[in-house]
Amino acid sequence: MIRSLETAAAWLLAILWVLPLAYAFWTAFHPPEFATRFHLFAPLTLQNFVNAWDAAPFARYFVNTVLLVSLILATQLVLVTLAAYAFASYEFFGRDVMFALVLVQLMIMPDVLIVENYRTMAALDLTDTIPAIALPYMASAFGIFLLRQTFKTIPRELDEAARVEGAGSLRVLWEVYVPLARPVYIAYALVSVSYHWNNFLWPLIITNSVGSRPLTVGLQVFSSTDQGIDWSIITAATLMTSGPLLVAFLLFQRQFVQSFMRAGIK
Amino acid sequence: MIDTSLKRLAALAAAALVALPAWAQEISFYYPVAVGGPITKIIDGLAADFEKENPGIKVKPIYSGTYQESIVKALTAHKSGEPPVVSVLLSTDMFTLIDEDAIAPWDTVATGADDQQWIKSFYPAFMQNSQTGGKTWGIPFQRSTVVLYWNKEAFKEAGLDPNRAPASWKEMVDYAQKLTKRDASGKVSQWGVQVPSSGFPYWLFQGFTTQNNVQLMNTSGDTTFYDNPAVIEALQFWVDLSGKHKVMPPGIIEWGTTPKDFFERKIAMMWTTTGNLTNVKANAKFDFGVAMLPAGKRRGTPTGGGNFYLFKKSTPQQQAAALKFVKWVTTPKRAAEWGIATGYVAVRPDAWDTPEMKKYVEGFPAAAVARDQLQYAVAELSTHDNQRVTKALNDGLQAALTGGKSPEAAMKESQREAERLLRSYRRK
Repeated sequence: MIRSLETAAAWLLAILWVLPLAYAFWTAFHPPEFATRFHLFAPLTLQNFVNAWDAAPFARYFVNTVLLVSLILATQLVLVTLAAYAFASYEFFGRDVMFALVLVQLMIMPDVLIVENYRTMAALDLTDTIPAIALPYMASAFGIFLLRQTFKTIPRELDEAARVEGAGSLRVLWEVYVPLARPVYIAYALVSVSYHWNNFLWPLIITNSVGSRPLTVGLQVFSSTDQGIDWSIITAATLMTSGPLLVAFLLFQRQFVQSFMRAGIK
Repeated sequence: MIDTSLKRLAALAAAALVALPAWAQEISFYYPVAVGGPITKIIDGLAADFEKENPGIKVKPIYSGTYQESIVKALTAHKSGEPPVVSVLLSTDMFTLIDEDAIAPWDTVATGADDQQWIKSFYPAFMQNSQTGGKTWGIPFQRSTVVLYWNKEAFKEAGLDPNRAPASWKEMVDYAQKLTKRDASGKVSQWGVQVPSSGFPYWLFQGFTTQNNVQLMNTSGDTTFYDNPAVIEALQFWVDLSGKHKVMPPGIIEWGTTPKDFFERKIAMMWTTTGNLTNVKANAKFDFGVAMLPAGKRRGTPTGGGNFYLFKKSTPQQQAAALKFVKWVTTPKRAAEWGIATGYVAVRPDAWDTPEMKKYVEGFPAAAVARDQLQYAVAELSTHDNQRVTKALNDGLQAALTGGKSPEAAMKESQREAERLLRSYRRK
């Protein structure tokens, strides 16, 4: 009885969750007349996608976004791994204070720091570049915290055994800690990629030209506030830009879900 | 978010990753995207044409999101020492930009023989939001007013003269009652009129207050009159459209989807911006009309939209180049072309005398309605600390429209909040 109730609740939630997406699909593939009307046999069209694609240089924006998220993720993985390793398995002066400082970063909304970050980028002569979008996010407090907790759960004996075999610190990290934390890495990578794929305000502010702007900023040409909203073209553009993420999630869904279960991120 | 050691690391990475951009005499130009269609391509075209005629100056348009996002971007860049040279921002942001010490008055660079003439060439209604303290801070560019659109077919069906829009509040209510269609169960298939109230209800509300012959703020932008009895009366009328007369959908009406409701015949009349003209012309599959807003004690509408601002931290050479560009883009011929392409009101009277504009108005007389309404137009609500003072009013309006508060209580509370915010600006 309780079991069937749970199943029903899960279905209900799933349907609620998928409704906006279903609406986006419906609207994107039909002419604008059917944006708010449902006819099973309404004519299908790809014209909305053509219009959306033509409204801005989306090919370039795709390249920029992919570059941006790979740059951020690659740097994050290196920095976060090294920092977490230090915090998890070394005793050094001021370790707990430093870790507390890292945690403080979790409490601060990045939006508050926009002016200060902009100043830094201006001082580095980096404004309007992809590294400028990426830099403030490279040292991820969330990532350090997450990995440190994971590394802490790895039995000390494995570490010591490896050292007895003659492995150096980095070798221990690479061959003991990193493989055991793989689910956490996958989960973290997913969170990071989807966050930066969708980030809008900071990229909008720090970039000026087509050469450095990501997809989200490219989508702004549809924000025609004076005229009202053309749902067909907006949904088409949204599906187009979030498509790669959706496809990736569907393909790797099993791995993602398992990683999340093991990593304990909800 | 990043500590100093990381900054140093970043500097190294930066040196490796990025070559320095080539230097050029260039004016950066922030442009908020507020209308749909190929608007960015029109702006790119304007910049390219200008560069062709003025070698030595490069205009770099930067599309900076909505108006709200654009001012965030402009002020962030200003505080970090890298502001744009020129930017289109809301005319109502004038006091905010002055308080932030971000902009310079155009008078400081417009010192040539014909420059004063140029500043005087715009419609006075648009200059109300562009000048304060005897200085000109904004040059009108994409400006609009509120107008009434009506569906002529719906008028015919309801037995009304399809070529005559309601001219007074009373007429609007009468018409709307005839236009509201209910089925047997009382479900409405077509509403008489729709005045949107999401996002920036104060702007449409200013139509009602102006028609009720009352101002919402003083010209120096440091006092509001939200709780004036005439303001409360105007709000009561707006609330009554759905509450008492039942001719408008109840609750908050979405700005963005109002034109769509109009195209789909869910509403017979709508209040919205003239900036929608090109959109409605392209998408309405029926004969429609455009009229001035109906009169209460008088006719009236606020103006709206964006002005050119000149940023203070740019060099004198850049400012001179910016002046040249802005003068070029607001010549009668280009103001006319811009108005035709976007639906915004061409900002100077002589733009309407150009052959292109005359031909356009002949084929599409609705385009001239906004111009004719300008004589009744007032400045859009704009004060110091504009975003918050306006929000105080928006919150009050929405509370009254959803029935959460009576118009009187809502406006008194909005006024108290505005008073609290503005008090310090009066002491200066």
